[in-house]
Amino acid sequence: MLRHCTIQEMLDVRDGEGSVAALRHLDECDQCRQELERAHQRVAALKALPSLRPPRNRWSAVRDLVDAERRQSRWIRSGWLSLAAAAVAVFLVGTDGVFQTGADEEDARAAELQALVDHVEELDEALGVVRTRTRAVNGLTALTIADLEDQIALVDSRIDLARQMSLSREDVTNLWRQRVALTNALVSTHVRQVSSVGF
Amino acid sequence: MTFAALDDVAIARAKAGDLAALERLYRAYEGMVYTLARRMCRSAEDAEDVLQETFFQVCRSIKSFRGTGGGSLTAWVKRIAASKALMRVRYAKYRETDELHEETDAGVHDGDVGLGLDLEAALARLSDTSRAVVWLHDVEGYTHEEIAELMGKSVSFSKSQLSRAHARLRRMLGEESVC
Repeated sequence: MLRHCTIQEMLDVRDGEGSVAALRHLDECDQCRQELERAHQRVAALKALPSLRPPRNRWSAVRDLVDAERRQSRWIRSGWLSLAAAAVAVFLVGTDGVFQTGADEEDARAAELQALVDHVEELDEALGVVRTRTRAVNGLTALTIADLEDQIALVDSRIDLARQMSLSREDVTNLWRQRVALTNALVSTHVRQVSSVGF
Repeated sequence: MTFAALDDVAIARAKAGDLAALERLYRAYEGMVYTLARRMCRSAEDAEDVLQETFFQVCRSIKSFRGTGGGSLTAWVKRIAASKALMRVRYAKYRETDELHEETDAGVHDGDVGLGLDLEAALARLSDTSRAVVWLHDVEGYTHEEIAELMGKSVSFSKSQLSRAHARLRRMLGEESVC
């Protein structure tokens, strides 16, 4: 090789993947050997950079998220479904005289909330099934799945918080709408992945 | 606390969801995760977010961790951290800035010549993508295949980012070159 090695060729040599021509050139060229040595030194210097400590303790924030998620999963199984079912029962019975002004709107909101909670439950079941069928996941899909799962966990913790703080039904409904959208996206991602590997 | 402080019993307790064991795991790995995140991300705030997201994911997923011993746990935690950091590189607020960096990366950075920066400052001046690749490959020991998989890109993309990173580092550090 009549010319000097490119950086790419040198890095290939360093990684044990160098071409015969590049290796032969390095044998004969002092300048390129020095350049390769500098590349080694750069990497050694990178490895020698000091370890860093996080400026703040993030464990309490992590633990709060974990606690919230655990409470949420318990709550989904028991509390909220009963509450929502009761609201729908009131809607169905339609007790005269109890809700006069705005009763229809209130009942419609309760029904929508119940529908959203039911939808999430169905989607979670579908997710359980499709997850077992998702085998090979490429890097980008794995990132997308992890991102969606994180967002779902955050929404779940907000729903839990909303329940504890007795937020308005509208606020809670909005959170469940987000939960439906995110879970839908997660199921779709898994389904696409299963389809793409020809399951 | 070192990685070795986490024996199989501690790992088993963490897998069972024991919060005290999970906190031990956090204490053992927070420095490693934060260092990786801080080297890959542009800001300390982003690195802290990556730290939190990584351990939330670890706590949620550790039941599915199939390895045994501290070594494989370290690799597993590191991989989650790398994914979270790369997600930030890909999707976060620096997206537009990074695209600008990528554009300029294709050419020669005349302004880099003779800067004589120290290595940390030079590393910080790389594009987010190049910095992530050089750190994962040269320091953490990931192969180009692994980086390509994590980033959803090709092996040649990873190689070219590494090559660009070294070219810029060399100029910024004031090293003379023949290439």
